[in-house]
Amino acid sequence: MATVGDTLGYGSESRTADPGSGRGGRKRSGRGAFGILFAPVTLLVVLFLVPFLIMVQMSVVAFPPNVESGYTLDHYVEVLTNPLNPGIAWTTFTIATTAMIAMLLVAIPLAYFMVFKAGKWELFLLLALVLADELAPVVKVYAWQVILGRNGILNWLIPGPPVEWLLYSSFAVILTLATTYITYTTIPIYAAMKAIEPATFEAATDLGAGWWQQARKILIPLAAPGIFVAMILVYIPMLTDFVTSDIVGGTGSYMMGQRVRDLILGQGDWGAGSALNFLLLAMAVLLSLGAYRLAKLNRIEA
Amino acid sequence: MATQAVERAGPVVSGNIGAVRWRRRRALNAWGWRAFLAIVGLMLFGPLVILVLFSFNDSNVLAFPLEGVTTKWYSEALTDPVLRKALANSFSVAFIVAPLCLVLGTLAAFGLTRFRFRGRGVIGGLVGAPLVLPWLIIGIAALMGYARADIDLSLKTVIATQTVCTFPLVTAIVAAQLFRFQKVQEEAAIDLGCSRIQVLRHIILPHIGPALAAAAIFAFAWSFNNYEISAFTLGFQQTFPVWVYSSVRNPDHTAIVNAISALISVGQVALIWFALKLMRIRTGDKATTEMIAGTEAVAAAAKT
Repeated sequence: MATVGDTLGYGSESRTADPGSGRGGRKRSGRGAFGILFAPVTLLVVLFLVPFLIMVQMSVVAFPPNVESGYTLDHYVEVLTNPLNPGIAWTTFTIATTAMIAMLLVAIPLAYFMVFKAGKWELFLLLALVLADELAPVVKVYAWQVILGRNGILNWLIPGPPVEWLLYSSFAVILTLATTYITYTTIPIYAAMKAIEPATFEAATDLGAGWWQQARKILIPLAAPGIFVAMILVYIPMLTDFVTSDIVGGTGSYMMGQRVRDLILGQGDWGAGSALNFLLLAMAVLLSLGAYRLAKLNRIEA
Repeated sequence: MATQAVERAGPVVSGNIGAVRWRRRRALNAWGWRAFLAIVGLMLFGPLVILVLFSFNDSNVLAFPLEGVTTKWYSEALTDPVLRKALANSFSVAFIVAPLCLVLGTLAAFGLTRFRFRGRGVIGGLVGAPLVLPWLIIGIAALMGYARADIDLSLKTVIATQTVCTFPLVTAIVAAQLFRFQKVQEEAAIDLGCSRIQVLRHIILPHIGPALAAAAIFAFAWSFNNYEISAFTLGFQQTFPVWVYSSVRNPDHTAIVNAISALISVGQVALIWFALKLMRIRTGDKATTEMIAGTEAVAAAAKT
């Protein structure tokens, strides 16, 4: 997990423009760092790391959940063999993937516009994206319920009998997820495109390349690291999202996040719940490490 | 995209297209972009507009067309005792979590950027982890931790877990800013006879001030809007997102949910917009763009 810090930018030595001037002359002692970091690190260990270890322990403790019952891998076997789970995993995968594709189709042109075409509107668009993201997610999802409902504004606009599949369906979940996470998809792509020299496109135009050729041969390859990072970073929260499918989803869009929540809060099955949660955690860690490797390929100097 | 590059280079290179055709294509292109941006804007802010519209609707039923204008849902929402308690809980949690995060996050940022020591990578990873892991997973782990330690769930447990998951965001924002200005400046000031306090006052604070402000706003918004962690670490009380969540399927509450959601959202938009504008005046366009891009790239690792 040491690599996560590097992804965030404060772990990498190479960031300082001139390594000699950055930390030359005066070396500060590790004792000072200990004093400064003591409070935050202690809190993280007690309130974040220890609970995770307890959760992992819960996932291998036999029922009833206390240490005297002995250890078992039954919960993992149960989670992996339960006939319901593959279906739920598949639903989650298809919904998250479709939302991802939809977001990329919007985010790539949007990022391109912000970097190369927006001019003085660039900052405005950036602020608007951040703003849209800072609204309460629960409220945003609720607003989509109002729009997509049987008597909602969309059905009012569409002539004929009300379209039933707009709400409480996979469509609603995909649409809502895509609008919720669009900020996080656009910004990494935007950051990657910031590094592209605009003259590249002018040269391509002079040489007679059309817009599609330019997009395929210049824009997408050069922004690819940003696109991969965006994909992976947005994928993790989408796989565990349960708020969206709770509010606008139906029986056909029951997702992994809901399953974990229901196992733990609904059925009180802490063993299976923690086992499933741990599997999700492992997946999140693997995806983050992948994102880190890709981010390293194209670090943009701030 | 061909025409966009042409636009950049000016009509000189477009000799083979012809000035009239070139102008026509450019106009078409501009309209295409405008339509695209309008659709994106509608997707992002349309829901908010709809909420505000419905909050003034005279009918309790969520249906178009609207039936007359009223403000009664606002007064009803603001006098609902359960909702008032939930709002008060959310505000008090956020007002405790945000300053705590600001202090802890800044400490961690200084420790990680200004000191070299063994195990720095591990600690960096530990600080970064809450940003990368989904809140569902963190919430469940916290629930089990509290159960094992025999701690009753209450607003205190919400505050504790939210603080631990939010201060790394402050760390990331402040650390990014600390990286941007060189440590030499601090050392030069010390060499010229400045005291530690003077360095803090005249060198460090002016540099990281805007980042601290941004971090405070983000931390407050994260805490106030958080549903996932609250849902798992909350006892019998409710916070605002938890209240909205439990009221969504209740038809009697629809109008009140609309009114209060509209009010809170508009308030948040105004507050954040104002703060970002202020930051832009203080630091200039380029620095703000860089900071937001950096902040958001970091926050991208986290989740909504």
